[in-house]
Amino acid sequence: MDEDTTTSNMLRRMSSRTRKVATKMVAALASSDNRTQAALARLEALENDNPGAEMIEINSDDDASLDDEDQVYTKKQSKSTKRKTRQAKALENAKKAPRTFLELLHEANLESLPPHLPSYLRAAVGPPSSTTRRHFCTVCGFTAKYTCVRCGMRFCAIRCQNIHNDTRCLKFVA
Amino acid sequence: MSSNNVVVLDNGAGLIKAGIGGNLDPTAILPNCLARPLSSKKFLHLSDLNATAAFDLTSAAVRRPLDRGYLINPDLQREIWSNLFSNVLKINPSHSSLLLVEPLFNLPSLQRAADELVFEEFGFESLFVADSPSLVHLYEASRSRPSNGVSEQASLVVDCGFSFTHAAPVFQNFTVNYAVKRLDLGGKALTNYLKELVSYRAVNVMDETFIMDDVKEKLCFVSLDVARDLQVARKPGRDNYFRCTYVLPDGVTHTKGFVKDPDEANRCLTSKDGAPKDDMEYPEVTEKAEDRKRVDLTKNEFSLTNERFLVPEMIFRPADLGMNQAGLAECIVRAVNSCHVYLHPVLYESIILTGGSSLFPRFAERLERELRPLVPDDYQVKITTQEDPILGVWRGGSLLASSPDFETMCVTKAEYEELGSARCRRRFFH
Ligand SMILES: [Zn+2]
Ligand SMILES: [Zn+2]
Repeated sequence: MDEDTTTSNMLRRMSSRTRKVATKMVAALASSDNRTQAALARLEALENDNPGAEMIEINSDDDASLDDEDQVYTKKQSKSTKRKTRQAKALENAKKAPRTFLELLHEANLESLPPHLPSYLRAAVGPPSSTTRRHFCTVCGFTAKYTCVRCGMRFCAIRCQNIHNDTRCLKFVA
Repeated sequence: MSSNNVVVLDNGAGLIKAGIGGNLDPTAILPNCLARPLSSKKFLHLSDLNATAAFDLTSAAVRRPLDRGYLINPDLQREIWSNLFSNVLKINPSHSSLLLVEPLFNLPSLQRAADELVFEEFGFESLFVADSPSLVHLYEASRSRPSNGVSEQASLVVDCGFSFTHAAPVFQNFTVNYAVKRLDLGGKALTNYLKELVSYRAVNVMDETFIMDDVKEKLCFVSLDVARDLQVARKPGRDNYFRCTYVLPDGVTHTKGFVKDPDEANRCLTSKDGAPKDDMEYPEVTEKAEDRKRVDLTKNEFSLTNERFLVPEMIFRPADLGMNQAGLAECIVRAVNSCHVYLHPVLYESIILTGGSSLFPRFAERLERELRPLVPDDYQVKITTQEDPILGVWRGGSLLASSPDFETMCVTKAEYEELGSARCRRRFFH
């Protein structure tokens, strides 16, 4: 690897760590029930292959990724076909992007099976018998008693609340 | 030559384990994905785990053929298998049988797609589809000896994998599928959760799948007392024996991340219950001190404390994440309770722990502590850990593939062509 490539790789690395915004979080916080939406988006993101890739760069002119943010795959496709028209891109993506498991599951219509048959749906463990949920401070990880009214994140004490307000609150959004 | 060439393929969502039936270990263990390093325009094959060392995988994007444990992208899987069969295993499918491990409760449409791949794209001579719990049971039961409490009759296989965790009773070598319980958490979610914590608290590592897998594997462990450990993780300086530092690759002097001071990192694992002895000494090595100085200049590192145990903690309390699912101990109890009462004591004393995500230090100990109060007093609870939880399924498959009646259990290409996928599939399950 020559020196230029090395430097540019380093720069890309640095910039990709700082100039990003989570589209899902933006969408979630703009909606009426911010906190629930944000929580759902967060759980969904835990199963993503490239959670970072669903973030878009702030100055990005490539808005194709906004069309279908669930498909990480789409974004990569759109990158490699930058010169094609939007329409051609959309067509290609529709053809190439595989459907997610949840879409296929929906199609399989397991709800219509007789209830005694074992299935993916019936095998789910179900809710816990105790509904108590422990909360951990998003600043320090300690047991958290308080919730930020703006973003729903948890913190444990005034010290962490201040850090949260100063540097963390809506960090992935603003 | 057909009868002595069975390809055993444990096609995990995280790792492929592949080799020849009858062997002790698989020939290849490789990530089931293509990766695109920053320096490449194309997605590349990672032909073995060491190949990950050949590339700088910092910020590499990945494409996986499996989603939530199921094979949803046969085109991508074909690319990966094709490389696997010709360049890694060097086998000719048209002269081989295939033992394919498939996730429980696979959807019929995905089974059809998999069969097409096996018979139409690769042209295997014959196919047998197995599920992982029955193979793990088979393997452990075959090794059964006094020190290993696994009953030959029945066991409860707890498979904590990449996409999910299953508690599956196995009775007389068949998985009791109506009693299986699934928790939708596995290694992938844990790595992503760790990414989220580190990104929120220190440095953005959301793109660092390979690096954060390494951090998780080297530094995370299961706490035996979360409240106590949270208190310790709050302490400043050396009293906080969980604190350790991970150095990110800088792309110049090192392309892999590493634990800055492994001795420091292992302090919390040296004693029995998770608190290190007071009289331990931690000699400073000069070479390490120099390393540290050089590394500090890049500022490309982060330290971890309570993240180390809060991440695997989610397997035991998914509710803390906001998931409406019971934790692992309850998952096991529900699986056992779905079986005939006659089996309950047998299952509780024959729990086999397997899967890569069961490798966190103190996993089995914590599970036993959570499980014991939920199980009737007159039943024993005995958890057996596998010698290698990543290879357990494959080894069971290898054993099955070398049994004398294996060929008769398979569906041949001719039968597939005559009967089609759905009717052939009926043969594999009871
Ligand atoms: Zn705090
Ligand atoms: Zn806030």
